[in-house]
Amino acid sequence: METAISVVVDATLITLVLALAAFGLAIIYGLVGVINMGHGAFLTLGAYLTWAATTSGVPFILAVAIAAIGVGIVGLIFEHLIIRHFYDKPFDTLLLTWAFFLVMTEIIKIVFGTDFRNVANPLPGAIDLGAVKIPAYRGLVGLIGLALVGGTAFVFYRTTLGIKIRALVQNREVASLLGLNIARMYKLVFAIGACAAGLAGGLLSPMLSVDPYIGNVFLVRSFFVVIVGGVGQLLGGTLVGSFFIGGSETLFALFSKQVFAQTVVFLLAIVILRFRPAGILRQK
Amino acid sequence: MTADADRRIPTVGHFSLWGLGQSEIGMAALTFIVLGLLPIFVSGYSIYILPQYMLFGVMAMSLGLLWGFVGILSFGQAGFFALGAYTMGLAMQLDLGVNPAYIGMLLSLVVGGTLAAVAGYFLFSAGVRATYFVLVTLALSIMVEQIAVSQSEITGGWNGMFIDRMSLTFGALGEISLYDDAPAYYAVLPVVVVTYALLRYLASARFGKVLVGIRENEDRLTALGYNVSVYKTGAFALSGAIACFAGALYGTHASFVAPSLGGVLFSTEVVVWVAIGGRNSLLGALMGGILVSALSNYVSTITPEYWQLVLGFIFIFVIVFFKGGVAGAVAQLPRLWQSRI
Amino acid sequence: MSVLLEAKNLSKHFAGLVANQDIKFRLEAGSIRCVIGPNGAGKTTFISMISGHLRPTEGRIIYKGQDVTDLSVARRARIGIARKFQTPTVFDNLTAYQNIELAVLGTNCPRARRHNRIFEVLDLIRLSDAWDRPVQFLSHGQRQWLEVGLLIAIEAELLLLDEPTAGMTVEETASTARLVQMLAQDFNLSVIIIEHDINFIRDLHAPVTVLHLGRVLLEGSFEDVAANDQVREVYLGHEAG
Repeated sequence: METAISVVVDATLITLVLALAAFGLAIIYGLVGVINMGHGAFLTLGAYLTWAATTSGVPFILAVAIAAIGVGIVGLIFEHLIIRHFYDKPFDTLLLTWAFFLVMTEIIKIVFGTDFRNVANPLPGAIDLGAVKIPAYRGLVGLIGLALVGGTAFVFYRTTLGIKIRALVQNREVASLLGLNIARMYKLVFAIGACAAGLAGGLLSPMLSVDPYIGNVFLVRSFFVVIVGGVGQLLGGTLVGSFFIGGSETLFALFSKQVFAQTVVFLLAIVILRFRPAGILRQK
Repeated sequence: MTADADRRIPTVGHFSLWGLGQSEIGMAALTFIVLGLLPIFVSGYSIYILPQYMLFGVMAMSLGLLWGFVGILSFGQAGFFALGAYTMGLAMQLDLGVNPAYIGMLLSLVVGGTLAAVAGYFLFSAGVRATYFVLVTLALSIMVEQIAVSQSEITGGWNGMFIDRMSLTFGALGEISLYDDAPAYYAVLPVVVVTYALLRYLASARFGKVLVGIRENEDRLTALGYNVSVYKTGAFALSGAIACFAGALYGTHASFVAPSLGGVLFSTEVVVWVAIGGRNSLLGALMGGILVSALSNYVSTITPEYWQLVLGFIFIFVIVFFKGGVAGAVAQLPRLWQSRI
Repeated sequence: MSVLLEAKNLSKHFAGLVANQDIKFRLEAGSIRCVIGPNGAGKTTFISMISGHLRPTEGRIIYKGQDVTDLSVARRARIGIARKFQTPTVFDNLTAYQNIELAVLGTNCPRARRHNRIFEVLDLIRLSDAWDRPVQFLSHGQRQWLEVGLLIAIEAELLLLDEPTAGMTVEETASTARLVQMLAQDFNLSVIIIEHDINFIRDLHAPVTVLHLGRVLLEGSFEDVAANDQVREVYLGHEAG
């Protein structure tokens, strides 16, 4: 009984962590159709900026905020210089964002060195729920993840700005006829997506030892989360996708090595992708 | 009317869309002659290492076939390459009376081709988008790396696997050991030439033309009765088999294989090579593979991070301005020249 | 004459939209049929179901006595049902020769005959002189013909032409009418044409099927249809509305 609960809790936490990590990609890929292969680099950069800030004495929360804004700015610059010319060419954006990953990773290596970095856990200890103990920080991140996903989804589905953005995404021509500034909208969405990724990187940094490739662990997983959940379905899709990818991996890891579990989950995701390219959830 | 038709032999072949035109064959021949004569003038480390770069070049050609010809990008060629190396490594441990290296080579062709055919058909028959396909191949190369790491009893895990240098055996006629630099070099070079010639031939054959048609207008081709997914699968299977075979030879030449050979980073390096060399030209892909990898390895010893940075910028530059890579730029020189005169 | 194509109670519903409803259609071998109707009448939907690009919600399609309703687009093309799309869909970066070559490569034409066969088709569509030019440099009308040429090259027996004269000059339109008639009379091909150009339809001297709101409104000769009050109202009403 105890194990069952701890499995459920584990799975939930992993789902939320993954949702947090993938959310930036869900925004960028889902809303402006950019296959952001640099998503991992955003996460990594967020982690490093957080580390740099905390080691300079900045309190953790502020450090994460700085990281998020920093990554958002970097994303914005990249969008402005390059990506905005290629929105209608998905293959090119794929390669260009991958090039961004290559370049950003090298810059990180040059600036920060290649040693493992550690960000101090701002909330050590565990929460005792009786049947199971949760590392306190992990639980917090899970909650923040949920709040972030829910909050952003709220913005996109309930506020005027969000509705404008979604209108834009669904029909560019109509949106421009309605007077929406398309270029600015795309920039905004891209920046928000980058911010979200940077934020995720920062929040996740205490849980992992930070190295230049840390973000890439989440790259393919994030893509599968978004595709399995349904591209463009920000709230439900991200959570369902994360639950599927994260949850299955946890489940399989019970019976086998981590690596094997990951392989199986990838294969499963590929099978789903093949049969349900629009995602598991039925399109409304 | 038909008498006239006989005189109108098309000189504008598919080569103009694939390659540097008819002149590419001449350039390729020149390149192979140079490569063939090189060991006479150079010796030592260069001759030792060049076959490995040439095999990278073969892997690059396999990507060129897929990407330039059919328009399908794969981030998984290195996965096949590593698979081939590991297959060769395992085969070399066999003791069956037959030259184990031959078994390794044959097996690598079969394994690479079959794996690619199965994965390819599974995806193409459902019309999976090209962009999703990229992701899947990326996932595949991650899986290959992970499996290589985890099955450490077989593969040696992170420590890698040591592989003997192979020998060419000719039954009763004797045996040539490929332990030394020169014999190994002259065993690999023909493989490169033959692969190039084979792919060149396919380019002008029905198969190649249909592949170009798929790239140019898949819907039209389907509506003309072609089973497009079978052709795509065939192209993927071929490229997988070639990459796997190159990997097998690499394994026995470098005498060592590690999981990172099949990982994401190396897989994407292959894409960078082909992008820079020229995805629409077989020779461009080959030379991109050989030269950029050689240059990377050389410069990496001096300043790894800055080189990767530069490479990244070159990559961006190529995608934004020079889709056809170096080969494409070279192909446009005659036109530029003519417009100046 | 035998019945080449028969559509029985063909319907196509999209979520909330009825594109085609209960269409009954018959076409004899070696004959031409024009399909007309105001925009939104369901003409392209109908053609798409015949070619296999859309699956009918209800109904069957019988071609040469065989039920082809569940066959794929490629399979149907191989048994003789070929389609020309509304916007010329050809291989823009290839030459006219290479375009037809791709089509011919899909047939059983032996290698030795291929070259001549390609030029046979090019002659038919008046592109023999332009055989060597990338197709994107041809005129709109020439590209329409090229696409028809592709269908001829794969030896299709049922040609589905979606607005073949759109964007053509008066002379080109007249030539196209002659080409279509020749295909029907000399090659015994059957042709279904979606068209808006009245003169073209008149020149064809072929029966007309009028679609309106997804249903067959009327079928008959061009003269009968042109004189019909309902048809006039449907067209004029549509313009006035």
